Amino acid sequence: MPEGAVFDLGYRPHDGPRLGRRGALAALFRDGLRRVLGLRRRARSKVLPWALLGIALLPALFFTAFGVVLGDLDVSNTIFGHADYFDLTGTVSLIFVALAGSELTVPDRASGTMAIYASRPLTIGDYLAVRAASLGAVVFGFLYLPHVVLHLGRAWTSSRGFGSYVVDEVTVLWETAAASMVFIVAYAPIVFLVGTFSKRTSVAAAAGFGSIVFVSGGAAALVEEGGLDVAGLLAVQFHPGYVKDWIMSADTQHWVPESAGFQPWVSLVVIGVVALLALGAVRARYRNVQ
Amino acid sequence: MGIASVSGLRFSYGDIVALDGIDLEIPSGPVGLVGANGAGKTTFLRLLLGILSPGTGTIEVLGAPVPGGILTVRDRVGYMPEGACLPGDQTAADFVGYAAELAGLPVRAARQRASDVLTLVGLHEERFRPIAGFSTGMLQRAKLAQAIVHDPELVLLDEPTAGLDPEGREEMLELITRLHGFGINALVSSHVLIDIEQTCEWVVMLDGGRVLRSGPLTDLSVAEEASVQVLGDTADFVDGLQRAGGVVSADGDALRVVMEGGDPFDLVRDVAAATGTAIRRLGQRRITLEDVFLEGDDA
Repeated sequence: MPEGAVFDLGYRPHDGPRLGRRGALAALFRDGLRRVLGLRRRARSKVLPWALLGIALLPALFFTAFGVVLGDLDVSNTIFGHADYFDLTGTVSLIFVALAGSELTVPDRASGTMAIYASRPLTIGDYLAVRAASLGAVVFGFLYLPHVVLHLGRAWTSSRGFGSYVVDEVTVLWETAAASMVFIVAYAPIVFLVGTFSKRTSVAAAAGFGSIVFVSGGAAALVEEGGLDVAGLLAVQFHPGYVKDWIMSADTQHWVPESAGFQPWVSLVVIGVVALLALGAVRARYRNVQ
Repeated sequence: MGIASVSGLRFSYGDIVALDGIDLEIPSGPVGLVGANGAGKTTFLRLLLGILSPGTGTIEVLGAPVPGGILTVRDRVGYMPEGACLPGDQTAADFVGYAAELAGLPVRAARQRASDVLTLVGLHEERFRPIAGFSTGMLQRAKLAQAIVHDPELVLLDEPTAGLDPEGREEMLELITRLHGFGINALVSSHVLIDIEQTCEWVVMLDGGRVLRSGPLTDLSVAEEASVQVLGDTADFVDGLQRAGGVVSADGDALRVVMEGGDPFDLVRDVAAATGTAIRRLGQRRITLEDVFLEGDDA
């Protein structure tokens, strides 16, 4: 007759590999991506980010479908080009950046999880750098993915053939990637900083979005109605679009800094300076955490 | 090698001195860190973790200097904070697994360890529930789970029984007692002295930012004193004890009897026989941490 035995395994020490700081950084980065996209969280956490991503992708999918019906969707006969696409999804992008930035800064402080990070092989500099990298990566994906879809859609329906189109128009992929980076550097540090002052994610997102829109709106009014050109430097919402047109050799609209008489490189410098100041302020906010 | 070595440690929050001139050698094993609220216990733990930097003095944890070698230390320790530290929007399995990954465990091992440790702390059934729905007892267990999920050499537990009902407290103390058997040293901070008596072998007592006492609990637990309760009037009995050289003091319902250079139990027996006193209870008086703490305060 067979006999069985019950073993109480109890506590088993971990004898496997330990990846140390490298593993901790990778885990923190993955967590950042999951947190922004609502993965491994309740369904309601997924609604906004995925809805915004859907909205951002919709024009690219529409144009592709349009091309399939027409039989050709070449650069020359597309209603919107890549440069226009940034303007088309501009507000949605800003909302997404504000949401993502607040998700990456608020919950860890609000729920007290910073105490756990303090017992793991990470410094506060590591924490902030990796959270910023997660934000950059997910926002880059948000901004860049529609351009890849649009590019491939155009290639698919192009009379020149898929391969020829992709090769001929490959520069647009680099240009849109560079423009996406400019938008990230322009918006992300500001919402990151605003997020460090709030204990509620929704408040931080609204404040991040609002601070960029209202300051820029005020600057636009001062430039266009008051003739105060120097205020154009404060139009943080419009600097990346102006630089994007510069990168892509386009002229999609008359930007506020342009109206104020500034060159695109000035906008680029302003973006860099504001980003450095914002990130420095974020570091200062966390100075009491080692 | 002990848990920690501290020399000349001083730390202050602005003008308020939290720790002043701490010199300590904390051995391996379960160690209690006791003191009243505001005695400096949490500050001490945060200094060991490198969350705070010492004003003056040196700190070594598991042989590594702090804050110089803080990443080496953090690789080998776990921490259960006193306050809230768990995100309500995640399940216990997800968060404890993430805590293991943050300590450097590979993803697959982290998930497995999270499952094992949550079972160990009694949260197996609840591991896929969002933490926001946890009771205080479950939260404390989940906090302990994240602190030990990566199999650390040392775990720092800050008020682990805070907010627990008597049953939950007993279960938490039992879990802490088992840690030593797992090869995990524990530094348990608590203002509940009986918790430390129940779980630790060594105790560090802090009071007003200074070390009141640091030593093994066995030195405290018994004394050469008799504790006796008698039936009826005690006047003749006490008088007899004192005439025979005993020092008698009241200790609640009992009498505390000390005899310099003699055996207090023999004295109690002889005087009880001589005065015809009936003894209700006689035993060795146990000195509690509370006694030591109060004596230290008096001093």
